[in-house]
Amino acid sequence: MSALSRLPEPAAMPLDSLRADVWRAASLAAAPAQTVPTGDALLDAQLPGGGWPRGALTELLQDPGVHNEWRLLLPALAHCGSGPVALVAAPHRPFAPALQAQGLAAQRLLWLCATSASPADALWASEQALRCAAIDAVLAWLPQARPEQLRRLHSAAAEHNKLLFVLRDARAQAQASPAVLRLRIAPDADAALCVHIVKRRGPALETPLRLAARPAVLLRLLAAQGPNQGLPPVPIAQSVMQHHTGPTAPPARRFAV
Amino acid sequence: MNPGINPCWLALGVPVGKAATGLTAPLLALGWWSLQFTPWVALIEDALVLEISASERLFGGRQALLQVLLDPAHAPLAAHYGHGDSALLALARLRTAPLRTPEALAAPVLAPDDLPVHTLAAAQAHLPTLERLGCRTWGQLRALPRGGVARRFGAGVLSALDQAYGSAPETYAWLRLPEVFEASLELAAQVEAAPALLFGARRLLAQLQVWLRTRQHGVQALELRWQLDTRRASAQHYDAHHSGAGYGRLEIRTAQATPDPRHLERLLAERLAHVKLPAPVLVLALRSLQTCALPGQSQSLLPDTLHVGDSLQQLLERVVARLGPASVLLAQIQPDHRPECMQRWHSPASVQRQPPASEALAAAAALYPNWLLAAPQGLGLSPDGAPLWHGPLALLAGPQRLEQQAWDAGPDVQRDYYIARSKAHGLLWVYRERLAGALATQPQWYLHGVFG
Repeated sequence: MSALSRLPEPAAMPLDSLRADVWRAASLAAAPAQTVPTGDALLDAQLPGGGWPRGALTELLQDPGVHNEWRLLLPALAHCGSGPVALVAAPHRPFAPALQAQGLAAQRLLWLCATSASPADALWASEQALRCAAIDAVLAWLPQARPEQLRRLHSAAAEHNKLLFVLRDARAQAQASPAVLRLRIAPDADAALCVHIVKRRGPALETPLRLAARPAVLLRLLAAQGPNQGLPPVPIAQSVMQHHTGPTAPPARRFAV
Repeated sequence: MNPGINPCWLALGVPVGKAATGLTAPLLALGWWSLQFTPWVALIEDALVLEISASERLFGGRQALLQVLLDPAHAPLAAHYGHGDSALLALARLRTAPLRTPEALAAPVLAPDDLPVHTLAAAQAHLPTLERLGCRTWGQLRALPRGGVARRFGAGVLSALDQAYGSAPETYAWLRLPEVFEASLELAAQVEAAPALLFGARRLLAQLQVWLRTRQHGVQALELRWQLDTRRASAQHYDAHHSGAGYGRLEIRTAQATPDPRHLERLLAERLAHVKLPAPVLVLALRSLQTCALPGQSQSLLPDTLHVGDSLQQLLERVVARLGPASVLLAQIQPDHRPECMQRWHSPASVQRQPPASEALAAAAALYPNWLLAAPQGLGLSPDGAPLWHGPLALLAGPQRLEQQAWDAGPDVQRDYYIARSKAHGLLWVYRERLAGALATQPQWYLHGVFG
């Protein structure tokens, strides 16, 4: 048999086997250098490289006053390393026991600009945190950041290969941004989270993703309510109430909601 | 000095026009640096003399030692040198024909008898007389009758000649590395703004770096002092940095001893940005308050993972220096049942190593929200009795009762917690005060956390 006849038929050869660096418009971009899985298979499938990009800016957009970022970021933060996670200008007090219960140890939390920081100070602290070798990830709440300031953070993250999440106002969605990944998140009915992928390396995603509540215990608890939304709330199971210290709780009061 | 070995002296000098090395006392820094090669180092006149015969073998010969001593990558400044069998001879050769490279050591030099007489410091005062005598070189001066020279020029010239020719011993005030670093700098111009003091402080820090490197120490606490112009009435000023005595001071501490002047400089810059000078500053001084020996670093055979960037301590210190101690907080979990007492956020200065929290906590805390409001926020009520916060809240699960009679300073807690859902904000943690009925003016419902 000649060598030529062993070659595959030209028509049968898949396009992407020709050259690894040819990108086809219908597919997601080739994996960036490193990613950290998000913990949601649904979301991982839609992100280039299958997770949050390391060494790049990821932008999360939310309505003002709404803060659902932990739901999305906690699994990645819990598994991204063992160094501190810098929270720059966090809007509320992070509740360390809850975060620790979901895998992010309290010792890893480092809250920078905890008191009345100006936007310039928050930007400065974010950049300093990115340049610190020990820190694994930086979460910065920068509602007023301008694109050139974000670009500076992005290059610092790229230089030091850090996970960087910038939390911004949904009104900034129309602005240009150097972020490689932009998500718009909003709470949805049924305690779920609705995630729009505004920008990614690849084609736009028209339909938003719906992610269920986390942690699983909370989801089970909410599921116990049943499909009927009109029913009054169910009491939390005693097995869960390890911190109950008072006398035995009376039967749950019924609230008409 | 070892009497059995022929002495070898080096005289080091700073080339004219190269004084701008960034150090406050270049020759002194060079002396500290040379102390690692020989203990016999002295500052005489405007040069440094050192005796290296005892260390020659250790460094592999005279030229190899010079190579290390003049290595531009490590030495604090580029010096030129002269050499000879006595300190005065080396000094005279430095004055007549300074050498710059270690290779020049082998080149022929002037014999002692041919050296001009003005290179002998003891004869400087009598140069006109010597000139008229026609006595121009050391050899001619030495040929004069000793008695006459002693009568005419004093015994100093004779003893200096004897020392230079090696027939009398040489002793000098040997340089020793001080235990405490102290250096001052007279500023070229009056400085009116505190951040501008950094330019002077940078030179002091460069000097400090040479001292630290020679001692193999790292600095933990430093004091920068500045002398105010006391002719101004405002020099008697009181604030955090000035005590009314005509000077101001700033103390800098680092948790980890650092030999790196850049970190200290950044800390100084941040701290100086907050200082307000009441009067112009003339003199700046730097003093080490606390130093400790640095452990050596062992190199790995295999290439290590490269850690580029600052250490965590440096980051924390820099942020605290710029934004204040309350701006950096670390979390600590407390064994308590009341949500507001379950964690404590404290500044890194008061950090204590805590044991990892027990598994029991982890199981229960999974149902707590990820954000906890600093203070519970009172909620309004809709007409049908449901709590309101940016629209009506739907209670999904609860109640979880938390009850604790406080015997400490904490709050008295009797609450039923519910998980509620808001259309705009997602899952919230709200509670109903059980004893609110007695005080009707207080709201019954509070928002305490956001599941986020």
